[in-house]
Amino acid sequence: MSFARPARCVFCSFTRGVSAGTRVPSRQFHPSSTQFANRKPKFPNFKARDEKTLEEITRDMKPKHFKPYTEEEKAALKEEYTPEQLAAIEAGEAAIDPKDMAEQFAIRRDPMKLHYLDDFSTIEPGVDKHVRAPKSNSDYNATLKSDDDFVEDFARFFQEMPEDATAADWVRFAETLRVTLGKEENELNPHSALVPDLFSPGESLTEEAKSVKPFEMQSSARFGESEEITEALKRLLQSTGYTQAFVKGLATKTLVSHSVVNQTRLGKVRRMYCLSIAGNGNGLLGIGEAKSEESADAITQSKYRAIRNMQPIPRYEGRTIFGDVEGKVGAVELKLMTRPPGFGLRCQHLIFEMCRAAGIHDLAARVGRSRNPMNTVKAAYDALMSQRNPEDIARARGKKMVDVRKVYYSGRY
Amino acid sequence: MSLVNLAHVCSHLNNATKARLGLTSIPNTQLHLKLCLALQNSGYISSVVRGGPTPPPQHTLLGVPSVNDEVEGVQSLTQSNVASRRLWLGLKYWQSDPVLGKMSMVSKPKRRITIDVADLREVIRGEKSGYVEGLRSPGESLYLSTDRGIMEARDVVAWNWMGLTRTNSRRISHEEIRAFA
Repeated sequence: MSFARPARCVFCSFTRGVSAGTRVPSRQFHPSSTQFANRKPKFPNFKARDEKTLEEITRDMKPKHFKPYTEEEKAALKEEYTPEQLAAIEAGEAAIDPKDMAEQFAIRRDPMKLHYLDDFSTIEPGVDKHVRAPKSNSDYNATLKSDDDFVEDFARFFQEMPEDATAADWVRFAETLRVTLGKEENELNPHSALVPDLFSPGESLTEEAKSVKPFEMQSSARFGESEEITEALKRLLQSTGYTQAFVKGLATKTLVSHSVVNQTRLGKVRRMYCLSIAGNGNGLLGIGEAKSEESADAITQSKYRAIRNMQPIPRYEGRTIFGDVEGKVGAVELKLMTRPPGFGLRCQHLIFEMCRAAGIHDLAARVGRSRNPMNTVKAAYDALMSQRNPEDIARARGKKMVDVRKVYYSGRY
Repeated sequence: MSLVNLAHVCSHLNNATKARLGLTSIPNTQLHLKLCLALQNSGYISSVVRGGPTPPPQHTLLGVPSVNDEVEGVQSLTQSNVASRRLWLGLKYWQSDPVLGKMSMVSKPKRRITIDVADLREVIRGEKSGYVEGLRSPGESLYLSTDRGIMEARDVVAWNWMGLTRTNSRRISHEEIRAFA
């Protein structure tokens, strides 16, 4: 029985005796399901105080902790490894004294320690010494086979072909057929002075060959997929001069939507209000507002207006803004702060979405006083547009560009 | 000396640039003159001319009063006229925006702020140091009075780097003015 037993419908309890046998939960007054059995946690509960840190483990290490493999463990190993590998494992186990293991099993503190954790079982192309084919694999006198050589190869294949030849024989021949004369290693595993690639084609860190789609491509599926050329879209394309593919590739998002009411003498007229942003992820950003009776219509209209309003946002090094800027709309007062590379977008969600659409990657923001979503978006847009171009400042002050750049992230001192 | 007059100068220049004036005047003192020359050196203002209660005559070609005006000349400073002298500053505008956008005091008349070169180095890198916010926007400058007169913060650090200012004194400079482009 659970501790918090919900209130039950009284009338249901009268019919309980009639339906004898199976126990059906009575009707409840709240939506969570009843729990009949004693509730047990799905997973065993680990307490932090019962666990040991790596330091404690290494400090308390004793020879008795290093026991030889039991029979079950050996049986499990046998499923994984070949007999030769098992023999090597056992030889290695026998070679090292458990006392030495206990003494030497520790986090290294010496100056020659590695600066990363590694079990050395695999070769990491970025960290470890590259494994290359030996230079002796090279054959500088290797030449490509001529047509006559290939004819000879085919002749040999047909001569040696068994009676009941299958397609597999042909495939094997075609795959093993060499195209050069000379050393075999030179063709199959040549020596190269070039550093091998981190990943072979299609390989990734997580072993899943997942192609990373850029941001614009992901969002285009949402917005542009169901686009047939509507009248509104046609007008948008005509007025902006953008191609349909470009419009489809834009990142658009509705950030604010709520219903608004106009009180007339005939009554209240409800309409949906939408505020959307549009950006190409590479410096263009616009915001658009629209009202309509239909929610979907308001969304589309506001997105199209956002696309119409797209303007270039100045970006420093294509990743952050020029200096700290402030914006104020209504009671929303916000400050956008420039940040070094790799900082990321540490700001609230509305500004995050705007930065993502505009292609700003490093930024911090602080929104003071009111945090009204609509005004926040407008103030952030104002702030982004109010950036001063250092070249303009240099021209205005009659200084060289370098003098003004010292101001920004002044790197000299 | 009190910083009240300097605060008045800051406000006056802010008001004058907002009103898009081309020429304005401030009381003539050594401190104001040194600051104006530093601002002119940084390119925030176009000219600094000492004159009387009425604006000095314009340079024929430049359109603003100039100290090297050979036609009109500049009145010399005497004991009889020193009290009525004013500094006439030519203000600059670029693409209909004032070049000298905003000036404010870091030190206040009631609380003077001092800073040493090590802290100043942090400030011009854009980090806050003590009461002084970092210079984080393009075109932002900080002027300090040092033992070598009023200097821009970056110049203070650079000169100290070159060994020209005294480094043995712990706190060498008073914070004075923060000017935005």
